[in-house]
Amino acid sequence: MKEVAAESRTEITLTVNGVAHTVQVSPRRLLADVLRDDIGLKGTNLGCEHGYCGACTVLVDGETVRSCLTLAVAVDGADITTVEGLSGSDELNDLQRAFQEAHALQCGFCTPGFLITATELLDSTEGPLTEQQIREAIAGNICRCTGYVHIVEAIRRVSEARAG
Amino acid sequence: MTTFHEPRFVGARVARVEDPRFLTGQGRYVSNQVVAGMRHARFVRSPFAHARIVSVDTSAVPSGVAVFTGEDWASYAIECTSRYEGFQSAAMPVLAVGKVRYVGEPVAMVVADDPYEAEDAAELILIDYDPLEPVTSIEQALSEGAPLIHEHWTSNLYVPRAYTSPDYDEKVREATRTVSGRFVNSRHSGVPMEGRAVLAEVVDGEIVVRTATQIPHLIRTAIANALGISENSVRVISPDVGGGFGVKAQAYPEEVACALAARSLGAPVKWIEDRREHFLASHHSRQHVHDATLHFDDEGRIRALTAAVYVDMGAYSVFPWTSTMDTGMAMGILPGPYRFTGYKVNGFPTCTNKTPYGAYRGVSRPAACFTIERLVDWMARDRGIDRLEARRRNLVRKDDYPWTNAGGLVYDGGSLEESIDVMREWIGYDDLVQRLAEERRRGRLVGLGMAIFTEQSAHTTEEFKKRGVPIVFGYETATLRLDSTGNLTIATSIHNHGQGLETTLAQFAGEVLGIPLERIKVVFGDTNQVAYGAGTFASRSAVLAGGAARLAATDLREKLARVAAHLLEVSEADLVFHEEGVSVVGSPESTISMAELCRIIYQRPDLLPEGVTPTLEATRTYDAPPGTGTYTNAFHVGTVEVDEHTGVVNITGYWVVEDCGVMINPLVVEGQIHGGVAQGIGSALFEEMVYDEDGQLLTTTFMDYLLPTALDVPHIATRHLETPSPNTIGGIKGMGEGGAIAPAAVIAGAVEDALSEIGPVWISEVPLTPERVLRYIRQAKENR
Repeated sequence: MKEVAAESRTEITLTVNGVAHTVQVSPRRLLADVLRDDIGLKGTNLGCEHGYCGACTVLVDGETVRSCLTLAVAVDGADITTVEGLSGSDELNDLQRAFQEAHALQCGFCTPGFLITATELLDSTEGPLTEQQIREAIAGNICRCTGYVHIVEAIRRVSEARAG
Repeated sequence: MTTFHEPRFVGARVARVEDPRFLTGQGRYVSNQVVAGMRHARFVRSPFAHARIVSVDTSAVPSGVAVFTGEDWASYAIECTSRYEGFQSAAMPVLAVGKVRYVGEPVAMVVADDPYEAEDAAELILIDYDPLEPVTSIEQALSEGAPLIHEHWTSNLYVPRAYTSPDYDEKVREATRTVSGRFVNSRHSGVPMEGRAVLAEVVDGEIVVRTATQIPHLIRTAIANALGISENSVRVISPDVGGGFGVKAQAYPEEVACALAARSLGAPVKWIEDRREHFLASHHSRQHVHDATLHFDDEGRIRALTAAVYVDMGAYSVFPWTSTMDTGMAMGILPGPYRFTGYKVNGFPTCTNKTPYGAYRGVSRPAACFTIERLVDWMARDRGIDRLEARRRNLVRKDDYPWTNAGGLVYDGGSLEESIDVMREWIGYDDLVQRLAEERRRGRLVGLGMAIFTEQSAHTTEEFKKRGVPIVFGYETATLRLDSTGNLTIATSIHNHGQGLETTLAQFAGEVLGIPLERIKVVFGDTNQVAYGAGTFASRSAVLAGGAARLAATDLREKLARVAAHLLEVSEADLVFHEEGVSVVGSPESTISMAELCRIIYQRPDLLPEGVTPTLEATRTYDAPPGTGTYTNAFHVGTVEVDEHTGVVNITGYWVVEDCGVMINPLVVEGQIHGGVAQGIGSALFEEMVYDEDGQLLTTTFMDYLLPTALDVPHIATRHLETPSPNTIGGIKGMGEGGAIAPAAVIAGAVEDALSEIGPVWISEVPLTPERVLRYIRQAKENR
């Protein structure tokens, strides 16, 4: 029997949803695992762990990133937003509310990724958005339940409401 | 003062009450659950399709990491034997013993303190295999002299099935024409976004298994059977599940392994499936080959159908379905929504060196719909009649119901002809067909396809008795309890994993008591909290659990009415139940709130009428008669444009007219249709588990196995018809699977139409990947 060599660990600091967390991580540790298991924010789900399905999408310094493909040490010092940080209080924000009202989620597993992707889209693109713009923006997120129809509708409603 | 009326919750387009927890990252998925002292499992899986295990060397695994191999658990297995005579049975081992039978089969298990370490340790196990000739196709499996996958069998056929209608020969003689084909649906699967996940621990002598499953009680049965222990020493909890679609409606060796490891180590053991494992080891589905001939007369009236159904069931019979489910379902539903009676069918559920085969949304119906709808399209071509007209001539008519189809299924009612008429007018069918023909003459490869079907739903005792399964899934149960604050809890044996049942069951049962959604909680997924039941599959939950909940609500109402009538000093017949409580008809000032009424029942027994017990709980079970299902129907039309140079198919329009009886919540119904259609589009264009001739699965990432994205699925337009079922409570029908049934037939018909200007082709294989489409384009050119 062999002993496993103790892995070297690095101290990193992440600001997640406005709160600073200092954690000791091995160099190979993924951002998704740090968020979920070290910091305890379980809202970011893992759907494929090869960067394709988009379920694990979070915002790193305002831009969408696949947390399953990002090494935690690579984002030391970053400002991160996860689904838990979308609405400040217990209330849903306008996007979350639109998802509920339009029935844009079923099993809910892909939903955090869609919310984060849609947040980036709505914050970065002048609205109201066309259906094609929305579909292109969410094409990197897979939903197996909804057929996307109601997700597109929810994002369109928010984009129209925000554009006035 | 307002007058109170009994509210109507059924039919309301209300947003789901379960949504906020998912929208804020509070989903209770197994992977999110943490218990003290939790350790992490990793499985070592077979790299060979068919091989003998010569040796397993675990000496390189570091101390502190636990290892289990097949020999450790050789006495435990998951067995699912059909009651069909001659069925060849083979138990599915927890970890392979002596031999492996598919790539991905679990061979060893490691348990470490950390999931990263578990993965490292798994790589240190050296297994020596002696490869055997793999059996990788139905044809090879059934050929003379093929290697036997299970040595004690006489062939690789689980059990042959056959049925011939008494009038078959006569009906074939009445026909003057035939069309025939070999119809091929690829092997694919539900592929939920959440993979499987298990967390097992022993608490006070009880093995608690949290697992992402659609069928918690059946998993408890499977684990108790496998371990040879009592069911009450096992508790299965299936919390939120990130999509099931049938993939999570089977018992898996990993569930038993985690239970055994937790018991053996005295520590909680968690296993989270990764995506590659999901492709390799979560049960596959859909792979059908049908050789079929449609017999019809000069006017395009169908007389008979002849079919042979081959299904590649993989290496083991799965619990609780056995390996005959797909074949049996296809044999019953192949005649589709048509009123012919002549039918001869043979079924061949075949054993191969592939991942075992289980349920996937629609079970066989997509393949059956593909075969019959392609044949009807070809009959229309042969007779030179419009495809829509060809269907209309042959459909079961309104006054035929109840109609026993040629396969013996009893259709309870529907609106088949009406759905065609509504579609025709809604999409301007005649103009659309003409416009597409003009576009084609100008060189664009555009076309239209269609499929009409009946969706067997909520089938129970009679149907499953016929299928020879060891457990007959006949009923579901609901317990309703009112608390002393007038709030209602519905505890039910079905499971909610996206279908919206926390909302729709509350709508359906709450209506009886006038209790609004915000005061109802639906409990499911914990065998210690809900009555025994089969769970959620086969579009059954709303009908069966809904029916049970409504019956139990009616029991509670009777008791509440008796007490309210006593307190308000009126007759029970004069009471109105509504959101504010219970009132006397026409005298809104005589109202008692539900909270007050419930409080009195529990806390003031001195005020109750004689003989009324201070309880507010009712349990009811419901098995929808006649036990062969209630039938939703739908008509789908789609249009496509094909790129002649790349073979890429673009879906340009998709319309659905469906009738699922009385709708509890149209918003949820539409969500189910959209999701089903999207999965059907995956079947039609993208999804395929590709094996090489050694039985290696080549599609084990989302880069190889493509799922439809928001750019592949078009806007899906829906219209509803409502023909109440005469058999079910509230006239509702199941509809969760329907969307997925038709798209392959629709898209294939549309592509065939699009290529028609190049030359005639007969499309009989899906998915229509660019490679296949280019092959059909070449054929069309050759046939010109």
